[in-house]
Order: sequence, then C-alpha cells, then structure tokens
Amino acid sequence: MTALSLLFTMAALGLSETAYLIKKRRAMEAPVCPVGEDCRAVLSSKYSRLFFVHNEIAGFVFYAVISAIASFLVIGLGSFEILNLILDVLVFAGSAVSIFFLYLQWKVIKAWCFWCVMSALTIFAMAIIILSVGFKLTP
Amino acid sequence: MNNYAFHVLRAGLAMTFIWIGVLIFQDPAGWAAFIKPWAADILFVSPERAIMGTAVFDILVGVFLLVDFLTFWASLLASLHLISVLAVAGIDAITVRDIGLLAGALALAVFLWPSKKGLYLLK
Repeated sequence: MTALSLLFTMAALGLSETAYLIKKRRAMEAPVCPVGEDCRAVLSSKYSRLFFVHNEIAGFVFYAVISAIASFLVIGLGSFEILNLILDVLVFAGSAVSIFFLYLQWKVIKAWCFWCVMSALTIFAMAIIILSVGFKLTP
Repeated sequence: MNNYAFHVLRAGLAMTFIWIGVLIFQDPAGWAAFIKPWAADILFVSPERAIMGTAVFDILVGVFLLVDFLTFWASLLASLHLISVLAVAGIDAITVRDIGLLAGALALAVFLWPSKKGLYLLK
C-alpha cells in the first residue's frame, strides 16, 4: 500500500507538471523556469516531439496510465499479476526514455530544462520504489 | 500567495483528494462507518452508496485541481465538502487533519476569488 501510494504521488506530480507544460504550449506562453533559463531552448527544439506528439502530451498519458494502474491495484480491479507487470514494464521503459532525454539535453541540445529533468527524476523515483519492493506492489 | 506556493498547494491537495477517493473505493463499508447515525438517517441513499458518490466527487475535484482546470470552483467545492465532512463525521483524533485540508482548500479559493471585473472562469 505504501509503495503504491508513493508511486501514485509521483505519477500525480508528473501529471501536474505535464498538464502545466501542455497548458503553456496551448496558450503559446513560455513556461516559468524555476532554475536556469534553458527551458525554452529544450521545449522548442526538434526533439520536443519524439513520438509524433509533443513529449509533454506523451508524458501526460504515461503518468495518467501509471496513476490509473496504481489505483486499480489498490481497489483490486483487474488481474494483480498483469497490472503489476504492465506497471513494471512502463516504469522501466519510461526510465530508459528519460535517460535518452537527459543525454539529448546534455550532449545534443546542450541546454537543461528544469521541467524535463524533474520529470526524469520523477520516473527514476518510481523505478526506485518498484525496485525497493522487489517488483511486487501489494495493495 | 506567489505562483510557486499556489502550484505546490494545488498539486498537494489534488493528490490527497484523488487518493482518498481511491481508498474509499477500496473499502466503501469501512469509510461509510465514519458517517454519524444522525447523518445516515437523513440520507436519501444508503451510507455506502453515499460514500461511493463522495469518492467520485473527491476524484473529480482532485483531477480538476491537478490539471489546473476550473481551479476556483474545484477549491470552493473542496472547501464546502470538507466542511460537510467535519459536520457528518464528528470530532475525533483526526479532525485536525481535515481542518488543515480545509484551510488549504480555502486558501486556494480565496486566492482565486473572482475579481470585480468578472468570474475567474471568464478570464
């Protein structure tokens, strides 16, 4: 339960971040960069759209699915094993994509975006939570 | 309240509301037991059904707060809901937590209170 509530908290944090970025892009406004000034450079680069949609939209869907699965596991909806497996696969695939995005910011774009780094840290925290319970997220 | 403080409070309240909704769905009977008998007597539906409705309400309010959509109305409804919780659940050891949540929701509603120029919604 504790691991699932922590996982849900991380996913909700990610949802909040990506919703903010989506809102700013729709309003055609630059997001606030709490640390540094390079958010705009990263978010308007050609790498801001990796899976045919803007990364923040893909991230929003990713976090929404994680929060839904964490909720289903707590409520007891669906197959426990299948949901656990989907959650593990999603979080570790998300971690791999986050490492790739960090590499892009570091070596290719040569600029760091606060929100992108925050999102990567959020996903890494999820992976650590799953590893800490040995891949078994019990309700 | 500055911009950062607003977003921290909004996201924090949102997570709490959504998670409470999920926990209610996990054990509706257990949560229904928090409703005082006098309040259960005036309900049009069974306490369990009423608490399930509360769970849906909590999740909706939480999602609206989380994505910053109709935030004024969501925080106002959250405040009214918490006042009703304090009324129907009575005073016990965890009442102070609800008071803290109510203060947070009220802070958001007051911060976003419609100005004289028009409703927040229309800005």
